[in-house]
Amino acid sequence: MIGALRGTLAVLLLVLLGALSPARAETPDEALDALLAKAWSEMPEACDKENVDTLVRILCTGTMRVGVRWDYPMFSTLVGDTDERIGYDTAVASAIAARLGVKTEWIHVRAATRISTLAEGGADVVIATMGHTKQRDGQTRFIRPHYYSSETIVVGPRELDVSGWDDIKGWRVCSTIGNHANSHLVTQDVRLMLFESAVRLPEALEERTCTLASQDDSFFATFIAMPEFAARFERKFGFDAIPWGMAVAQTGSNEFATALELISAIMHRDGEFLKLGIENSVFTGFLEEQHDRWRTSACADVSAVTDAGCVLPALDNTPLPTRFADEVDTTVEWIKANLGFALELPMLTSVPAFELFTAGIVNSLILVMGALGATLGFSLVFGFFAIIPLRVSRFVTWGIVTTIQSSPVILTLVVAGAVATTIFTYSPAVALGSAIVALGLMNGANAGQAIGEAAESLRRDGRYGSGFSGALYGAAVRRSLTQLLSFLINAAKGTPIASFTGAPELLSALTDITSFSAGRGTTYTLVLIFYIAVVFIVVWACERVRVRLNKREEAQA
Amino acid sequence: MTSLTDLLASDYPRDLATGMVVNFQIAAIALGLGLALGVPFVLMLTGGKLTRRLASPLIGLMRAAPTFVVMFFLLNVIPRPFLFFGIEVWMPPSLIVALSLAPYAAAYVADNGRAALVGLRAGSQTEALLFLPNLIRAFTVLVMSSSAGVAIGVNEGVAVVLREAERLPTLGEQMLCFAFGVFAFGAVFQVGFAIVRVLMRHLSRRKGADAIHAAE
Repeated sequence: MIGALRGTLAVLLLVLLGALSPARAETPDEALDALLAKAWSEMPEACDKENVDTLVRILCTGTMRVGVRWDYPMFSTLVGDTDERIGYDTAVASAIAARLGVKTEWIHVRAATRISTLAEGGADVVIATMGHTKQRDGQTRFIRPHYYSSETIVVGPRELDVSGWDDIKGWRVCSTIGNHANSHLVTQDVRLMLFESAVRLPEALEERTCTLASQDDSFFATFIAMPEFAARFERKFGFDAIPWGMAVAQTGSNEFATALELISAIMHRDGEFLKLGIENSVFTGFLEEQHDRWRTSACADVSAVTDAGCVLPALDNTPLPTRFADEVDTTVEWIKANLGFALELPMLTSVPAFELFTAGIVNSLILVMGALGATLGFSLVFGFFAIIPLRVSRFVTWGIVTTIQSSPVILTLVVAGAVATTIFTYSPAVALGSAIVALGLMNGANAGQAIGEAAESLRRDGRYGSGFSGALYGAAVRRSLTQLLSFLINAAKGTPIASFTGAPELLSALTDITSFSAGRGTTYTLVLIFYIAVVFIVVWACERVRVRLNKREEAQA
Repeated sequence: MTSLTDLLASDYPRDLATGMVVNFQIAAIALGLGLALGVPFVLMLTGGKLTRRLASPLIGLMRAAPTFVVMFFLLNVIPRPFLFFGIEVWMPPSLIVALSLAPYAAAYVADNGRAALVGLRAGSQTEALLFLPNLIRAFTVLVMSSSAGVAIGVNEGVAVVLREAERLPTLGEQMLCFAFGVFAFGAVFQVGFAIVRVLMRHLSRRKGADAIHAAE
């Protein structure tokens, strides 16, 4: 009796608990099944309709058109001469197609055509190593949770002791033009050597053209997987993680996008992405972390695909615009519409670029003025020692001048930079100062030699004795004025070379700006015009000095 | 501690020599381009008033253009690869360095070529022959200037020196490495200018003999 009562109470309690507990949330699997069932129920009638959702069209045709790369090792590469592709991206696409019960059709996309292909309806989905940024969010629809994530890594020789930004200040790092991480590199006082294609980077490391190279870890994964490469080079450190997203067109793909979101959540939860990652030998740190996250109860139901606690945000790498960016854009538009040529002025439209640009102009002017002053100073010093009637003094001067003349400009700048950074801690100001000294030394030595030769010729003329006098020194400087002015012009012309040793002048600043923005043609045209103008001003000033001195001499005569 | 003997026994001298061959190649191409571009300017300068007025500012512009900036300009405006008469052409960075040196070489050829032509017209063959040592001088300067290519990844002499220096731990060892590089480039520079001096001396002696002959 008591037993029966206990049993009845237990049943009642369970019924009561069931009645009071909230409705069980829908799982991604259930939501996906419901979505697909709805799509199947609309068929075959919906197949003949226009403007149906991409999901319905894919199910109708039995084919999912996938935009993939063809030359991205480990993610999507062609197998021989066939149309077959291997890699993580294509494996993901095949797994999704299998889940939908359709086959894949590969559409070849490049980095530059991934979004435009979707916008033009050339592919249903793009799975092509595409980083999800806020900027791209306005151009296409990204699927979350993300199917992969990469970061930029710095790779270098194993024997090199580098583990962070502090170790590579002032160093030259090789990267590719337009890489989103370049803007980060330049803010860390790293100098860039830019290549057109990432394929050149491992070669450049092997040839030792680059000591360090920076690129997406997904790119270097192939090389680090090679024993010969891995024996010599390693990942030093990473930065700027960026999630990769599959993308669909912004319009007409609502249900398809939902299906992809649900499938992605399921694949992360079930470890399918992780399995495909391991099979294709890509870095799996992100996939492991996502697998753990999507297995938790917090990300178990269908609402998790929009839950900020489960999905990652897009990377916000859009630089802050300048307060006159709109006016610049309007002017550029006007020029394009009325004059017919497309200008791009990245140095005026974003705050970091504008700061680099203005600092570059100021530093260039400091460099030119400094180089002119140093050239004048060194020429007078070398000239003085070349005139002194002491064999030792002349021999030492000759030795220094010959050595400096024998060294290529760029090598002299590097030597001066190396000495300066041994004495002082590296900074852009030290690079600027050492460049001024090197340029002054090179041109001043030559001009000083000319002063010495002028003094010799004056002595031969018999107007001055064999000793040293202020009058002889002054006359020698006046006689060698043409050479002196030529070397001053030469010093001004040589100032852009200082960018090689890290002097933050205009060429260096604009190289940094174009490394993370568009408009290389316009930018380098501007820098060429700037430096030609600077040289013309120096030539004009030198000519004025010459005329004035000649007039004064004539008046004295 | 790396000594001079260690440096000489390593691959460094051979690598440096190989790198400097690239410097010579760049200089030769630049001089060739300079001659091709400069000769028409010589004819313009020695022609009528109009052609002279047209050529002078252009030569001034070429003279004023900083080679290093021109190099970066060309690197960034020339599409790579580009189509040339329907053929896909890939321009190597070394050719870009040569192209960037061409304006300087052309201005130099124009200035010295004009002087030579004026001398020849005045009946002085010796004056005209001075063009030859001046070309050697230009070639030597171009060899030195071609080292700018290191900034865009050309594997030339200075690139080899810098690579080797980066490998060395102390400033002293690096200086030894730099000194070796300066010596190698200096040898080219001094030999080049020695040839120029010998030729100049020979030509000025010949000029003197011509003058005496004319006086007799």
